Amino acid sequence: MNDEKNDIIELTLPINAAYVSAARLTASSVSNRLGFDIDEIEDIKAAVSEACTYVVKYYSSKKEKNFCIKLNISEKQIDISLSVDAATKLSQDEDDMGLCMIKALVDNFELDFNENDHLKISMLKKHNTSSFN
Amino acid sequence: MDFVINSNLNEQNNCWDVDVTGEIDIFNSAEFKTTLLKLLDEKPLDLSIDCKKLTYIDSTGLGALVAVLKKTKEFEKNVILKNVKPNSAKLFKITSLDKVFKIEGELNE
Repeated sequence: MNDEKNDIIELTLPINAAYVSAARLTASSVSNRLGFDIDEIEDIKAAVSEACTYVVKYYSSKKEKNFCIKLNISEKQIDISLSVDAATKLSQDEDDMGLCMIKALVDNFELDFNENDHLKISMLKKHNTSSFN
Repeated sequence: MDFVINSNLNEQNNCWDVDVTGEIDIFNSAEFKTTLLKLLDEKPLDLSIDCKKLTYIDSTGLGALVAVLKKTKEFEKNVILKNVKPNSAKLFKITSLDKVFKIEGELNE
């Protein structure tokens, strides 16, 4: 992967269900512009939406205010990460239906809490056709 | 985009005909569930849901449908999903809910 060709798009949103559609729309628009096919776009859109839903479901009643979505785009893949600088300890719910859906929709998925309880969800979707312009 | 539900009592087929337009996600899935459960409270019949104009449904929307299905099973009725778009059909498949719901006529686009 050539790092020089990577474009990075960052979006900071309030932890509020009303803004999940904004994340979905952004992910859909960016992956469409970059030449992903319709099935890949739908997968990316649904994976981003479910990751946002996970954050909203578990943090909306807590004191954290915002979360950040980072789309790192290269010629062959889109690397998506969601992070919450959390002050609240959250127990992992691996059986969450949304997380199970993400695992089926992307090529790689990781959910991590670092030593400061910061949540990071990472997802990678590879480009099937490499038809970037 | 939010969602719009139109419902009509189909006396000929003895069921509720429901059209859903828009997107169902965590923002509106509770309202979606409440709207459907109110129909069942009014008349406990089969729910025939036309998904032709349903552009997106997430895990919370699927959860709402499961709750509604459980309610219909209490009086031996069913939820029938019609004209499900390929993007939604894929989500039903990966969650194995395609085996739980009666799905008629998936749309090919």
